[in-house]
Amino acid sequence: MSTQVHPAVDESTVRQISDDLDEPEWLLETRLDALAALDDLDMPSVIRTPGRTWTNLEDLDYETLVDPLNAAEDKDQVGPDEVDVLSWSEAVQEHEELLKERFGSIVDPQENYLTALSTALFNTGTVVYVPEGVDAEDVKIRTEMNSRSLFNYTLVVAEESSSVTLLERQSTGGEAHRASDRTSGETASSDIEGERYYSGIVEIDAAENASVQYGALQNLSEETYNFTLKRGDADTYSSIDWIEGNIGSRLTKTEVSTELNGDSSESQIVGAFFGHNDQHFDLDVKVWHRAEHTTADLVTRGVIDDVARTVYEGVQDVGSDAWDTSSYQRENTLMLSDESEADASPKLIINNHDTEASHSATVGQVDQEDLLYMMARGIGPQQAKDMLVEGFFVPVLEEVAVDELRDDLRENVKQRLAN
Amino acid sequence: MSSDQDHLKETDTEERFEFKKEEKSAVKSGKGLTEEVVRLISDDKDEPDWMRERRLRSLRQYKEMPLPTDWPGMPDLTKLDIGEIVPYIRPDVEKRSGADEWEDLPNEIQDTFEKLGIPEAERKALSGVGAQYESEVVYQNMQEQWEEKGVVFCNMDEAVREHEELVKEYFMTSCVPPSDNKFAALHGAVWSGGSFVYVPEGVTVEMPVQAYFRMNSEGMGQFEHTLIIAEEGSEVHYIEGCSAPKYGSHNLHSGGVEVFVKEDAHVQYSTVQNWSKNTYNLNTKRAIVEKNGTMEWISGSMGSKATMLYPSTILKGRGATDNHITIAFAGEGQNIDTGAKVYHNAPDTKSTIESKSISKDGGRTNYRGLVHIADGAENSSTAVECDALMFDNESTSDTMPYMEIEESKVNVAHEATVGKIGDEDIFYLQSRGLDDDDAKQMIVAGFIEPITEELPIEYAVELNRLIELEMEGSLG
Repeated sequence: MSTQVHPAVDESTVRQISDDLDEPEWLLETRLDALAALDDLDMPSVIRTPGRTWTNLEDLDYETLVDPLNAAEDKDQVGPDEVDVLSWSEAVQEHEELLKERFGSIVDPQENYLTALSTALFNTGTVVYVPEGVDAEDVKIRTEMNSRSLFNYTLVVAEESSSVTLLERQSTGGEAHRASDRTSGETASSDIEGERYYSGIVEIDAAENASVQYGALQNLSEETYNFTLKRGDADTYSSIDWIEGNIGSRLTKTEVSTELNGDSSESQIVGAFFGHNDQHFDLDVKVWHRAEHTTADLVTRGVIDDVARTVYEGVQDVGSDAWDTSSYQRENTLMLSDESEADASPKLIINNHDTEASHSATVGQVDQEDLLYMMARGIGPQQAKDMLVEGFFVPVLEEVAVDELRDDLRENVKQRLAN
Repeated sequence: MSSDQDHLKETDTEERFEFKKEEKSAVKSGKGLTEEVVRLISDDKDEPDWMRERRLRSLRQYKEMPLPTDWPGMPDLTKLDIGEIVPYIRPDVEKRSGADEWEDLPNEIQDTFEKLGIPEAERKALSGVGAQYESEVVYQNMQEQWEEKGVVFCNMDEAVREHEELVKEYFMTSCVPPSDNKFAALHGAVWSGGSFVYVPEGVTVEMPVQAYFRMNSEGMGQFEHTLIIAEEGSEVHYIEGCSAPKYGSHNLHSGGVEVFVKEDAHVQYSTVQNWSKNTYNLNTKRAIVEKNGTMEWISGSMGSKATMLYPSTILKGRGATDNHITIAFAGEGQNIDTGAKVYHNAPDTKSTIESKSISKDGGRTNYRGLVHIADGAENSSTAVECDALMFDNESTSDTMPYMEIEESKVNVAHEATVGKIGDEDIFYLQSRGLDDDDAKQMIVAGFIEPITEELPIEYAVELNRLIELEMEGSLG
């Protein structure tokens, strides 16, 4: 891999980040190993078909985008008293043993070039620890990035028979505000012009019988490149449910995935996206069935307008020991513009015959008959179309169990239609 | 079932395919792929210079192109040693361009095709038959009524001589150029035999024409080329069958098929592939469809050690239609990697892909498909449906569809399911007095019925019989 990051990014940068956070030696080593591995790592895999590469990550100008030492953000990390919701530096002090055991255990820091870059350079993050038997709601993490680049890390550990609901939002502050950004009213702490880079890694560890619900709403500025990898490890009888909303960013490459490693574990991954202008969303949704009686349900719906492009890859991978698997996947895309492009690849990898699996994907436009029907009821063409787009999201919104996130998503869709 | 089909039922199918004849050849090339071998083939066929040049150019392209290696789940091609394959064996027959009487063939070849049931099928259900043995077409005949209407059905080598201008224009130029993939380049260098079909404007060939390909010798490669040109408003159904006895070393089949469907024309291309399980089957098949034309690919892949085959259709003219129906059956040691490719390059084009796959005893089936809808291909619609049935836990079934949609006024649907044969289904059938084997066979026959009903009855029976054969031995 010959991609060059900022010339100033070297061992001393990483040492300084780690020093500032007062990190123990082993963490510094993990970061330095990740930095050293960059040369040998590839970009995250993207689909290639004859004559086409669906997303070109090599072309990003990492040299200008990556500026870790000037990272700035505005962050809220709140939650109920029974759970620990800690910033990264607090977690390093209070939960070192936990971090030593879990950090990088689900997403290998050296999985690809961008995860290694993130591991080497992250200087902010959140650790959520839910003790055994505790039920917690309303853990909220809000990140507003106010710098050229921001590397963020999140770890959620839910102990046996606990349950937790988390809500994460990302937006951009500083000069790059657009009217559509919800946080635009807040004060900007720095003036950043031009393109930015956000990188986030999320690991969720759900112990036996734990239940984790993780909702994320990404609304970064349309000059921001966004790489996120969210992965959960589900133990016996546990469940990990993801909600993934993508509204902002210039280009997004994201993976949301669950390893069903415990018997009878379950995962639901609900996705919603709305791309316009020249946005590019590359969305991977994956589930690995690795134990018996596991269930997965992947549902994604999205709308694209203008010259936006979406790439969707959904993988249901059933291992040979995954007896009695149930696995379902649906993806639906609505195209509002002739210039937009929707690529999709829903994949089934089946190594156990005791499996019930299905997937489907559709691409279409606003139904002319529906439009005519509504117009015949006296609704203007634009309003009718907007209502149909809002209606298109209803099946995924119904799957969103967190009220606040559902309202947020709906509001974002409305705003985008109004623009 | 009528007595017409009984003979197919009664024949012991395995014995019908699994016999070997002593090798008798007039010309046999050396092993491997060298310029010398390519020149020998071209010289032996007494080809015009342009064809020899195309072969040599293909050879150069072949040498430059890499083998595909990074496709997820693809068959292992590392054991395929092209250097050990004999690409050209011309059987020892008197008439070079194919006899038109079976009696004119040497006994062992005549006997081969008798056993395969080809002459009988010709009498009953076909407009014309071509039969290829090793590298050369040995028998070619078509009913006179079609010849009178200007239909051409001859072997490809003869077409190079008799229809030079057509071949020069269409042969591996716009449809499957040698640069398409490594095996297309290989094919372009050493191709031999195959069929040339030309249907003039407005002619409907009512009964199918068939070509049968037989590999008899150990370690050989068969590289037949099929070129079909269906002029405006014409209609033809082409069927190919293939088989080979099993050997310890590897055989290679790398055919090339090019179909030109002109305005309002309709071509159906059906394949029943039953290569022996030491054969690598790496083909390139493609059709270009003009305005309001229809292309149908129907294929059953039962045989081979490894198959990589994705029949593709380019819907070039407004209102063109494509239908794909494929069935793959992978047993022990087999990796059947197949699918479909469709390019919607014009408005109002339609495609449907229906894929059924069955894997058992450690076999692997992959569906790999690409649907591309180009910008401007308004009102296009495509529906893809993949169903997989798995018998046991050693088997694998992957579904890898790719959809690239650049146009908004479209209707795209993809669906896939994977299931096992339910104990309840079997129990139900057993309670009706069927034993375990029969119950499973019946479920499989039901599973593939959408495909068998598209084939002429003889082929449907044949396909069912082949599947029954695959199921035997593994059950009960």
